Amino acid sequence: MNIEITGLTRRFGAVQAVAGVDLQVGPGVFGLLGPNGAGKTSLLRMMATAVPPSSGRLRLLDRDPGRYGPRREIRRRLGYLPQNPGYYPGFTVAEYVEYFALLKEVPPARTRTAVATAIDRVELGDRRKARLRTLSGGMLRRVGIAQAIVNEPELLLLDEPTAGLDPEQRVTFRSLLRDLGQRATVVVSTHLVEDVAAACARVALMDRGRIVFHGTPDGLAASGDGQAAGDTPIERGYSAVLAQARS
Amino acid sequence: MTGEQRTDPRLSGRQRTGAWLPTLRLVRLYAVGRRVPWALLATVVCAIGLRLTLLGHWDAYGALQLPLIFEAAVAVSIAATVAGPFGEPERVTGRWLPFLRPAVTVALTAAAVGLLAAAGTGGHLTGGTLDVLRNVAGFTGIGLLCAAAIDGALSWTGPTAYLVAAVYALYTQWHPPALTTPWLWPARPPHDLGAALCAALVFACGLAAITPRGARDRPGSPAAT
Amino acid sequence: MSAATSAPAAADQRPAATRADLVVLRLLRLELRHNAMAWLLPIAIGLFWLTTYRKDMAQLPLWNLRAAGLQSGAVLDFAVPVTGAAAWTASREARRRLTDQVSVTARPRWARLLAPWAATTIWALVAYLGCAAVLYGVTEHQVGWGGPLWWPAAVGAASLPAFSALGFAVGTFLPSRFTAPLAAIAAFFLLALTTQPIHGSQSAWQISPIVTGPWDLGPQGVSATFYPFVPDLPIAQVMFLAGVTAALLALLALPAGWAGRSVRVAATGLTTAGLLAAGTAVALAGTGTMDAQGMIDIPALHNTADDQPLRFTPVCSDTAIPVCLNPAYAAELHLVTDTLTPLLDQLAGLPGAPTRILQTGVVLQQASNGVSARPAAPRASGTAHVFPLVLPDELPGPSMTAKGLASQLQDQLAQSYGPNLVARLVDYQPGESPAQDAVAKGLLLAAGLPGAQAPSSGPDRADPNPWPDLAPGTPAYAAAERFAALPASTRHAWLVQHLAALRAGRITLAQLP
Repeated sequence: MNIEITGLTRRFGAVQAVAGVDLQVGPGVFGLLGPNGAGKTSLLRMMATAVPPSSGRLRLLDRDPGRYGPRREIRRRLGYLPQNPGYYPGFTVAEYVEYFALLKEVPPARTRTAVATAIDRVELGDRRKARLRTLSGGMLRRVGIAQAIVNEPELLLLDEPTAGLDPEQRVTFRSLLRDLGQRATVVVSTHLVEDVAAACARVALMDRGRIVFHGTPDGLAASGDGQAAGDTPIERGYSAVLAQARS
Repeated sequence: MTGEQRTDPRLSGRQRTGAWLPTLRLVRLYAVGRRVPWALLATVVCAIGLRLTLLGHWDAYGALQLPLIFEAAVAVSIAATVAGPFGEPERVTGRWLPFLRPAVTVALTAAAVGLLAAAGTGGHLTGGTLDVLRNVAGFTGIGLLCAAAIDGALSWTGPTAYLVAAVYALYTQWHPPALTTPWLWPARPPHDLGAALCAALVFACGLAAITPRGARDRPGSPAAT
Repeated sequence: MSAATSAPAAADQRPAATRADLVVLRLLRLELRHNAMAWLLPIAIGLFWLTTYRKDMAQLPLWNLRAAGLQSGAVLDFAVPVTGAAAWTASREARRRLTDQVSVTARPRWARLLAPWAATTIWALVAYLGCAAVLYGVTEHQVGWGGPLWWPAAVGAASLPAFSALGFAVGTFLPSRFTAPLAAIAAFFLLALTTQPIHGSQSAWQISPIVTGPWDLGPQGVSATFYPFVPDLPIAQVMFLAGVTAALLALLALPAGWAGRSVRVAATGLTTAGLLAAGTAVALAGTGTMDAQGMIDIPALHNTADDQPLRFTPVCSDTAIPVCLNPAYAAELHLVTDTLTPLLDQLAGLPGAPTRILQTGVVLQQASNGVSARPAAPRASGTAHVFPLVLPDELPGPSMTAKGLASQLQDQLAQSYGPNLVARLVDYQPGESPAQDAVAKGLLLAAGLPGAQAPSSGPDRADPNPWPDLAPGTPAYAAAERFAALPASTRHAWLVQHLAALRAGRITLAQLP
């Protein structure tokens, strides 16, 4: 298992963002669903080693991220796209991605190729010299994805990766996700259940800091009853599981 | 999602008071969004610093340049509040911003002048209150012009550069070649009309520059912190 | 987005050690391209032109003055923008909301932060060195003797990493929109404030990088012209700045999680060493004393070889009585000669007249109310008729332009130097002979020095000389005017014939022509 989580909690002052999560995730694309404030981003930030857990056990890629050396090893193999990624507006696309390649310690001999490949994979090859301040929101999102995959991570964490992408780009992105999932663990946090249905082999649903469903997208769809809200089976399953968790 | 509210011309006194509350609340939120309380705190710290500085015994040069440094510090703090955190969503909202921007800036400048002048009361504040008023207004004007022309986050560059030039101009009163242009107003006596006019003009231009659009921010640039 | 793949980056396929130097260079190149300091360079260079270059060029072309002006001026011009730029750069991750993205990368935080600090510092240093090169290059063309003083330039250069590190540390630990402006102003305040408590030469505050010598003395033309430049204070200043830089940069590796254990241990050591170096430098500066040449001697750093006077061949004018100056002052020879010639022409060829006017240094001494100066003994040997000369720009006082020097030289000639020369010629003794008074006054009038007063304390007389006033209307004054009105050849011939008798007090007013 690339992600092993036992009894993980995270508090921000008086707010309990993550409340005792147990989770194990292996290779493939894993979907993390949940309403606003469910704790998805906090859980993802802990997996990304951006914040330490308040309590519980977290192991990533068979290493303990609580210790400096192993954490650095994890980070070499990690890709992370936050919910609201930041940009240096004066950087070009290529410079921005190269900057992250250098920070992620991609071997110097492979840096240029890795940068070019990552940019091509998000279909921004023709804009590689464009400054970030000139790009649209969707393009910036793709630049964020490029920096996350530039080191060809073994563990890729994407928080709302399809926000701002047009339908065509979302379809292409799902294809990219499936491809990445063949050799890495990809965790996608999203509100868009159709993305999960299309790209994820397994899925977890969070609510109020806890995981209230863990299984396959088909299993989630099957949880829906006739009365739950939603246009698709998985949306109805999503609504039904949430309603049941809150009842 | 709510219906349009119409104002009844026959409002009672209590209702009229109530009508002011949203405005006050808007001013407060505008100020908080632009870190105005922090700027005020910085101004208070500068006033205390000036007071403590005036307790010391300085030579003529030091007595002139040290207050100038505090005046520049409050001015950069005021100019730093011009940058808005919300960008276009805020800019396209109604008619209040062009009033709020200069009003808050003028209020902050007045508060800064008042605090620094109060700090100098009873001390040997070279130049007196007039000097403080002229210098703070002038420095702030430079900061506002920089905010409008370059970037809100870089509004400090102009005032700090001007500070170095102004302190040098003071120095040349003792060491030639002298710099005596009224555009370097801190080096002129407080009653110098030309210097006061230059400082006032720069302040007015700065206010005029930030009133319609605030500080310059570039498309795609994340909001300043 | 393309699903086209490339080979996965398995961990075991990575080289054991990446070529760190290449990575650092690439990171640095990226930072250099986008560094805020690059955009602030026009401001820094503009300030340098306004407050340093312009001021330095208005001063007399002496290496010591130019170097001191460079150090004190350029430190202010560049330190303020570089502090602000560094603070602004350091707070950019928070400002641009990139903290999460970059903090989860493998490169340790301190190593990541060093790149933008280095880029900020490099831009500032490049601009500073360029400005210093221009200033020194122009000075090289104007000065005929001596060479650039590198220590003051080195202090300026060492200041920039220190202030950059200061701004960077503040911006890293306190990121906010107020950090950069207040850090820049605070840097200026720090520099301005540190010079205020300096009274006398034994002050630890002399460690401030804008201090170039005894603070009470101001920029001093005589230092490092008759004696070598004493680098004691600059050495202490560079030591202090290097210590501060090391301590501040090492501070960035100290917070938990910002670096590995070994790096943090090393950073702790570096912080301690830096603070120790800075503290030692401050203590050393406090032991400094002003030497007789107007430079700071620090006993623990002092090299006694610097106490040996410099050997030089004076540059002399081609006049009846040659005026000889230290070659560092060669640019002033023409001015000095033109000022002295009318009087020297009156004296040339007379028995007992000086055969040469020789510039001498001054001996400076710290006094309770400032610095006192007296002329040093002339080093030319075997020349009883060599008359010493101390130029006004050798004396303590405000910096001087060429125009100011001409004016002060004329005043000096009229008020002390001219009367002294003449007094020496006629061997004046107080109250001895009205004829001596009249001849002396007549010579000064003939030399175009009507306002010349009696010598009070000339460079060759330690004590004030009670020279009697010759009031217009008195017989002695009338005799002086008569003597001055004689044709130069007649006056000269009379003096050749009667100077010995005049000196002996055997000439009366009535005997004067």
